[in-house]
Amino acid sequence: MPEDLPLRSDPELLLSASHLQLGYGRDLVVADCSFEVRRAEFWCLLGSNGAGKTTFLRTVLGLLPIRGGTLWRHPTEASLERIGFVPQRCELNRTLPTTIREFVGLGLVGISTGSSEDRLAAALAWVDLAGLEDRSYWALSGGQRQRALIARALIRDPHILILDEPTTGLDPSSESRLLKGLAQLRQERRIAMIMVTHDLGMARQYATHVALFHRGKVVAGPTASTLTAENLRAVYGQDIDHIHSVGGHD
Amino acid sequence: MISAFLSSWPLFHDTYIAGWLIALLLSLVGVAVVARDQIFIGAAVSHASMLGIAVGMWLASWGESMACEWCGSDALLASCGGLFAILGALITSRSGTHATSETHEAVTGWVYVVSASAAILLLSQSPHGLEEVHRLLSSTIIGATNTDVAAFLLLNVVTLVLLAGFLPTIVLLLMDLEMAGAVGVPVSRWQRGIAIWLGLSVGLSMHVSGMLFTFGCLVLPALIAKNLCREVRHMFWVAPLVALGGSTLGFILANYEDFPPGQVVATLLGLGLAMAWLSKAIRRN
Repeated sequence: MPEDLPLRSDPELLLSASHLQLGYGRDLVVADCSFEVRRAEFWCLLGSNGAGKTTFLRTVLGLLPIRGGTLWRHPTEASLERIGFVPQRCELNRTLPTTIREFVGLGLVGISTGSSEDRLAAALAWVDLAGLEDRSYWALSGGQRQRALIARALIRDPHILILDEPTTGLDPSSESRLLKGLAQLRQERRIAMIMVTHDLGMARQYATHVALFHRGKVVAGPTASTLTAENLRAVYGQDIDHIHSVGGHD
Repeated sequence: MISAFLSSWPLFHDTYIAGWLIALLLSLVGVAVVARDQIFIGAAVSHASMLGIAVGMWLASWGESMACEWCGSDALLASCGGLFAILGALITSRSGTHATSETHEAVTGWVYVVSASAAILLLSQSPHGLEEVHRLLSSTIIGATNTDVAAFLLLNVVTLVLLAGFLPTIVLLLMDLEMAGAVGVPVSRWQRGIAIWLGLSVGLSMHVSGMLFTFGCLVLPALIAKNLCREVRHMFWVAPLVALGGSTLGFILANYEDFPPGQVVATLLGLGLAMAWLSKAIRRN
């Protein structure tokens, strides 16, 4: 589990991974991962399938134990209450009845708040679903459902938003709207974003920082200095024009 | 019809009250079963309970030869039924995780087949064994005692207190396990807890009311609620109301027509589900 103590001197620092080792059972997926996430930074995690991007997210969320190294999370600013999670897709039982109000409201589990209606209204407004509270979740389009997932994360008023390939299955227009909204959130509310993606163009356009996962190692830093042709060749094993997307899912 | 029912009250009040309490309890637990789309688990756990009761009866016959008075008691049968149902529920709850490589359906099917066959094998040589199996399968709630009433009252109170305190967490667990884990809910502990509660509720209900009433009250009210409600949390209100309404009507009809009450309640709830499907189809169109 991530460490909560001690407090670090940098007030902007939310998350710090140092020589982190991650894996499932006996399999070590990530052997050495070190980087730090500060407020208002937009991190894209890139790499081929099975490189450990989603494993890293699950470890930050406390769903997987750490195999080695340290993962420090700010004890108040980056506690689980202050982390919003947007999964790649929501494995809901399709026959279950639920409204947007109930679905998004479930994001408040684990949070003691007296203003759930205000939070709901604010979260839905951020994702352009205001006024649809009582509509069935199943009546929404794919893009709207993805935005409902983001609203469910935003209702927690997070300082870190963790997104696992949030644009999967979206058409280009919905994808663009979603990413612009996330960028706006980052700037206006100073939320740190950590997003798994295969889209190098998207990372180039929106990320302030990237982490390249490859063969158990992680190369991380500001986008311009990290997303180089040399690093991409090392990760993907071939020359890649980094302004174009790379398909596939983790 | 009502006055006939009221006049039967002095004789059958424990049966009626136990029936209502079982219906209420199972309808609440059943929401968890239906919401996770694991309806077959109800049948498997019911049969696991039947195996437990068979083991209890086998112990009773063994106890007779050892002059063990407690071995033949009703409490032993109820305990064995509850224990085996809990074990069955725990086994099925572990399937589909990293701990096993088998699917949930496969493990549930295994629990069902092994329990059903082993129960009959265990009792096939016993003088009244197959008669008891038949009683459990066909359901009869006549004969419930005031101890049964007290036990189910306690189970209902605990269930309602848990729901009142943790409803959003429970709804999240039923709808989205990954999200529940991500917000810090101890998912494995909750899963085990729900499995134990399901096993205990089904196991004790099986002993008192038999298979049909137990399985019917477990899944049918929750399925009706699912078709009538717009939100999962509302199912926790509607399912108990349906269960209480269905069982009350069933008891009145059964008393008037001299039918077995468990079968009448199950049939009425089945008809209710057909009407709920129809209502949903009409609303959709």
